[in-house]
Amino acid sequence: MENFILSGALNQINGRKDSMLEIKDLHAGFEGTEIVKGISLTVNKGEIHAIMGPNGSGKSTLSKILAGHPAYEAMGGTVTFMGKDLLELSPDQRALEGIFLGFQYPVEVPGVNNAEFLRMAYNAKMARQGKEELDPLDFDDILDEKMKLVGMDSKYKDRSLNEGFSGGEKKKNEILQMAVLQPKLAILDETDSGLDIDALRVVANGVNKLINQDNAIILITHYQRLLEYVKPHYVHVLSKGEIVKSGDKSLALDLEAQGYDWLTPVPK
Amino acid sequence: MPTTLTDTPSGAESLILDLHGKYLEEARPSEPFKGLNLASVRRFETLKFPHPKHDLFSFVNAKELAWTRFQLQRDSRIGKDIVRDHVYPGCEKSVLVVADGTFRPDLSDLSALPSQVKVSSLREAVADPAIARYLAETIESENDVFAAINGAFFNDGLYLEVEPAALVETPALILYISSGSASHPTMTVPRVLAKVGRHSEVKIVVKYAGAGGNYFVNSTQDFILEENSKVLYTHIQADPFESWSFAKDRVHLNRYSRFHGVNVYSGCKLARRHHEVHLEDSGAELKLDGVSVLTGREQAHNLVRIHHEAPQCASAQHFKNIVNESSRSSFDGSVIVNKGAQLTNSDQLINNLMLSDDAHADSKPNLMIYADDVKCTHGSTVGQLDEEQLFYLNSRGLSQGMAKSLLTRSFAESILGEIQVPAVASGLRGILSKKLEANHA
Repeated sequence: MENFILSGALNQINGRKDSMLEIKDLHAGFEGTEIVKGISLTVNKGEIHAIMGPNGSGKSTLSKILAGHPAYEAMGGTVTFMGKDLLELSPDQRALEGIFLGFQYPVEVPGVNNAEFLRMAYNAKMARQGKEELDPLDFDDILDEKMKLVGMDSKYKDRSLNEGFSGGEKKKNEILQMAVLQPKLAILDETDSGLDIDALRVVANGVNKLINQDNAIILITHYQRLLEYVKPHYVHVLSKGEIVKSGDKSLALDLEAQGYDWLTPVPK
Repeated sequence: MPTTLTDTPSGAESLILDLHGKYLEEARPSEPFKGLNLASVRRFETLKFPHPKHDLFSFVNAKELAWTRFQLQRDSRIGKDIVRDHVYPGCEKSVLVVADGTFRPDLSDLSALPSQVKVSSLREAVADPAIARYLAETIESENDVFAAINGAFFNDGLYLEVEPAALVETPALILYISSGSASHPTMTVPRVLAKVGRHSEVKIVVKYAGAGGNYFVNSTQDFILEENSKVLYTHIQADPFESWSFAKDRVHLNRYSRFHGVNVYSGCKLARRHHEVHLEDSGAELKLDGVSVLTGREQAHNLVRIHHEAPQCASAQHFKNIVNESSRSSFDGSVIVNKGAQLTNSDQLINNLMLSDDAHADSKPNLMIYADDVKCTHGSTVGQLDEEQLFYLNSRGLSQGMAKSLLTRSFAESILGEIQVPAVASGLRGILSKKLEANHA
């Protein structure tokens, strides 16, 4: 961790920014209603960004627009990911480019076997990279290792995807998918919400084991609690669809102490 | 679909009557078949082809079928190679071939079936007056005009009897294979009668397939379950598109007997199944499930009539239909709870998955209850693939086609998962995947 933060900091000092994601004046919304109202944000390799904000501030809209949810539309601005116009890509193309959205409410898919689904997703990525796809036996070795990493019982392999999982198991399953797919940029949308402290530690531990100098994470969270376990380089406060304040992790502590009320968008 | 009574195919009956005259002359059926044929043709004349408002044909347009001038299949072109294509692993030595309506011992292999399972042609079996009497009774009470046509033309078939107290592990596979004909449409009338003795248990798989197209397979199957016996039944309709595939399955359930049927349809120009079940004595249980996977202009229709005739019986039906492109499915199901059938438990659920704007699915769940202490449910749903599920799978790198195919398979899985013969279930999963991938590619 320490090395990792240091290298991020060095990148900043030397001005060698390895830009991964560049959001410029993004406006976006849902069913014609603008919710994100001009967000600009740059995420470089090796960085962890936390986006905090009260309910309705546009946090989830931002995550969904980045992942390409069909019900959300970009109304202005640009998003560039690894040099590509992200908004032009379909959700599956974005995933294959290396974007991963950890869902706030992971979807239950009855009848789709969890392990089979993970293997399909893994193989889609392998195929994209021109690598050999894995048969169930070979994939099982990878899966066992990753399940251990996120502290998940192997019985969840043969269950239907998220069906009947507890809230904590669903979130762990998201981190498991992230571990299997090894994205370049993971956007974790309120992964900490609804978790008890043990589950939170397990999830945070999984996240910490997965970050390295070549990937980046955007943590979207309502609470400061997660940031005790996963240390962000930057904290941004979102309010009414705009980033009203950015700072380092001490900002998160201020928010915890004072709430969000002191931060409101500056009238234009 | 015709909507007025003027579309009634009146007069089309003469085509069948002409064919029947020719049949009596050429086939010269022996007794008791001749008598059964004549009784049945009279029944046909009474029933007539359905007008569009007929309550057994609410969603089935049989006009084209009725006006098709069929010939009877004379030369069967079914050989061992075709049979081999349709045999499931584990059934190689328990396969009964009914080729163009005739049981063919030369193409069948019964070596893995225990001696408690007796197989013979219906011609031999009718020597038993009880069997001949049973067949006569079915003809008297027949309410389905197509089953009456079957009765008018059949003079052979397959008889299967399981002795009492036999636990038959090896599934018996009955293959209905039609030759078809390039030059003219042909009709075949397979007939199977299966009697399962007291305390016996057996797995039966039936599959309808064709070597060519342009045929009308019009079969009738009767299952008689004696006290405390159990039948695990899988029914697969896999005819080529250019065919009409009709079947009537009649099930009689005695005290504490259980029948679990899973019906899988891939559809054709017109596929129709009529399930008639009688729960005749207390403690009998029926579970009837089905799934249709249709595309192009394929059709598959289910008509279900379940008669609760005794107290404390249970029936549960779950049918799912997946309709894509211009295909159409229907489910018309009634549960009739007779007076005196107290403490009946009955559930009926139909789920339709619509994959295109032009696809069509009709559901008519119906309850007729004449007893006052029963628990019955029925319901029907229609829906598309879930957008949130699709996005979730997309967001993990699965293409839209892969995600749709996966979700559609998962919709069918709750029915396929009920199939008690693993090799059959996995074979069907494979075929289904191929069909869906071709669709979503």
